[in-house]
Amino acid sequence: MFATVASASILGAAGHRVTVEVHIGNGLPGFTMVGLPDETCREARDRVRAAILSTGLCWPDRRITVNLAPSRHRKTGTGLDLAIAIGVLSANGNITADAIADLGCVGELGLDGSVRPVPGIAPMVGVLGDLDAVVPARSVHEALRAAGGRVRPVAHLAELVSVLTGEAPWPDHQVEAPDAVVDLVADLADVHGQPVARRALEIAAAGSHHMLLVGPPGSGKTMLARRLPGLLPRLERDAAMEVTMIHSAAGVRLPPLGFVDLPPFRAPHHSSSNVALVGGGSHLLRPGEISLAHRGVLFLDELGEFAPSVLDALRQPLEEGVIHVARAHVHADLPARFQLVAATNPCPCGGGPPGSCQCDETSRQRYLRRLSGPLMDRFDLRVAVHPPDVEEILTTQTSEPSSAVAARVLQARQFAASRSGGTNAELDGAALDLHAPLSDAARSLLRFELVCNRLTGRGLHRIRRVARTIADLDAQLGRDPVQMIEEAHVAEALRMRAQIHARLPEIA
Amino acid sequence: MSLIPEALADPTEVGVLAILAGLSGMGPRRLRLLLAHLDPIDAFHALADPSGLPSDLADFYSLDLRRSWAVAVRSCNLQQVATNCAELGLRAAAFGSALYPRLLLADPVPPAVIFWRGELRCLAERRVGIVGTRNPTRSGVATAGTLAQELAEAGIAVVSGLARGIDGAAHRGALSARGPVIAVVGNGPDKAYPASHRDLWQQVCDQGLLITEWPPGVPPDSYRFPMRNRILAALSEVVVVVESRERGGSLSTVREASLRGIPVMAVPGSLHTRASAGTNQLLCEGAPPVTCTEDVLVALGLHSQRRSDLAQDPRPAVGQMEAAILERCRIRPQTLDDLCRGLAITVSTAALAVARLERDGWVAETGGWFEVLGAWAGTLGAEAGEGTEHDIADAECPEHDGPEAIPYGT
Repeated sequence: MFATVASASILGAAGHRVTVEVHIGNGLPGFTMVGLPDETCREARDRVRAAILSTGLCWPDRRITVNLAPSRHRKTGTGLDLAIAIGVLSANGNITADAIADLGCVGELGLDGSVRPVPGIAPMVGVLGDLDAVVPARSVHEALRAAGGRVRPVAHLAELVSVLTGEAPWPDHQVEAPDAVVDLVADLADVHGQPVARRALEIAAAGSHHMLLVGPPGSGKTMLARRLPGLLPRLERDAAMEVTMIHSAAGVRLPPLGFVDLPPFRAPHHSSSNVALVGGGSHLLRPGEISLAHRGVLFLDELGEFAPSVLDALRQPLEEGVIHVARAHVHADLPARFQLVAATNPCPCGGGPPGSCQCDETSRQRYLRRLSGPLMDRFDLRVAVHPPDVEEILTTQTSEPSSAVAARVLQARQFAASRSGGTNAELDGAALDLHAPLSDAARSLLRFELVCNRLTGRGLHRIRRVARTIADLDAQLGRDPVQMIEEAHVAEALRMRAQIHARLPEIA
Repeated sequence: MSLIPEALADPTEVGVLAILAGLSGMGPRRLRLLLAHLDPIDAFHALADPSGLPSDLADFYSLDLRRSWAVAVRSCNLQQVATNCAELGLRAAAFGSALYPRLLLADPVPPAVIFWRGELRCLAERRVGIVGTRNPTRSGVATAGTLAQELAEAGIAVVSGLARGIDGAAHRGALSARGPVIAVVGNGPDKAYPASHRDLWQQVCDQGLLITEWPPGVPPDSYRFPMRNRILAALSEVVVVVESRERGGSLSTVREASLRGIPVMAVPGSLHTRASAGTNQLLCEGAPPVTCTEDVLVALGLHSQRRSDLAQDPRPAVGQMEAAILERCRIRPQTLDDLCRGLAITVSTAALAVARLERDGWVAETGGWFEVLGAWAGTLGAEAGEGTEHDIADAECPEHDGPEAIPYGT
């Protein structure tokens, strides 16, 4: 008359173990669910009843109580359907308690008894420990990556019941091997000309520097940004696991193998709300775009069009690599270590050669004000992007492909890692003194910029970080990783800090 | 003008003129007519009553107008206005009064009242107007600054409009040489416009002369700028246009100057730059070119020879790569992409070469474009502080950016 089934629910990007307890007793026929289920979860009653009846089994017309333990956490989603159904059948005597002792069930039920995928299979299976995970057949790849015990894919409730009653062996769902993995990441070979922007992408990839692309409409800012993930090294196993968990929890479509090992690229629209970007929602605490971009690239096109509050919300995760989302009763830490790439026009009219701007000062100031502030300080690279030459667009010659650039990036990253253990974007003032010594010529170039008031102290650190990365890209294998930064490296870094607007400083 | 004792500028009279000139519907013509018949203070009291004006004068103003003026005059606090003007150091002169600048007396459309802050004595100097676009190139800014500075060093007063771009650069140049500087503005003398020129505005008031026909509190409406331009032209002996687009406010100053028989000169610019389309057009129409400060001095009759030491460029010589880059930049402004493509060099090589050229004052960068600086402007451009790094974070927040639909100086 009583049964327990192990299952899990999701909060933020992490799974939580849930024990489904079912009691069937005497009294007026009814079905009560306790343990803080939310609305979708409460609807399980009707789905479970229909699914059991569709399977050809009897629904016990007695008093059924379902408790979702631990009772104080709110349970969301439909992933508990399968566990509730098995619990009811076990409490009713259709299935023995032994048969389900080592099982954990996750999945949504259709009215016909079919078992359907739910978001967050990977993190939920992850918390089931060494229990055998019963999962929807279509989520098998996702589950396999995270499971501690065996994975038992099922497509229909009837299948599972016949296994648990000993009538049939575990079904052998063909885990169809997906076709050769198609890399959907765009290739840099499609970008013709624009040597400066290409070089900037390479530097951004090598040093993990946040990058701002400044250019008129049609200069290819978005096209360039989309090619950045292709230059980054593939994710290592741990990182890939983290990313897979987050993407699974958010219900984002996973690659065919259920494993995200390419750095993700997220490009939320500028109308996105604060919650959509940083994560949250009432009690589900779904990961936001910044968490989905974890270990990858967050691309904000038309940076000035984003609501100021949304942009301000980015500052803390940029600093800490994690976002703490808290609501009255729940809170979650969502990982958010992303590389920020943003694009903007230099001014509302799009700019152009000196003296050709059409904007009046008021609108230019209004545009600038949106971009002002501490967020701009995060961009080590600010690249002026100019539309490519006509001849270059029409050329049939292909440019250097992403793979060649990625090889140099990987080598430069190894250089940086062997020196400071991280990426160059993480170097602060003291670390720069240690790891980025300047040659005399480089120093005199920087001195000139400082004397001209074109560089501030903070700007100087940015230039040194970028120059360090450029030097790493130029370095030959086997050289001393702390080799000197030359004048050419600094000169190149200085060209990667474009102004947002074409207005002239008024000099006398 | 300095012969007139300052005491004549009575604070009450200044207050009265500020109120009269600020009445809605009271344009320069109506005010001139009024003040031709009545003393300012009498006019003030007469306006307090719709039927207070002498009958022959009253016919020129409609009853509605007189009624609205009566309401406005009765509701204003003369004492307060006079105190405010005195605190501002503001003085005023009505057309025909002893302090009224003689230069404007013979003007076809003289202002009815002139308000000023600073030294009216500046008008006694030789005066050159420097005007141009609000959206100049780097070399235009440098040219305006150098020209103003060298003129100021020669003791010549620089007249300009305190607008963004060329105007501001001219004022800064003149102030840096501590020369006499005259600003003619298109709004009230109390509030700086554009707000980003607040410091410059104050400096002009302290070291030179700020002059306007509008009383305190008048906003920078677009129609006031062409009217300002006529005063600017009238106060100049020569008007130099540094950079101007094919249509723009500086050309309205040029029109006003030609109307008054004041010579107009223009600084030649590149054929490829929109910012010099207007000046090149002026040259085609026969304006004398300005290629160095001596050209202006010659026009003023102060100098008979052009400077010859320009052959000796003070800047360090350039290497082969740098020379090739300079050559391309001379044709038109180049981006780093253009340079890499045109010369088939890597980004790194190009970056190093332009960094050296920039350091030695050969080129200047704006928004990713590299422009060549002439020998004349180049020396200055290399020394001057600019502050690109601050521009983003410390973007100016103008308190008041009034409409300026007819772009003055653009």
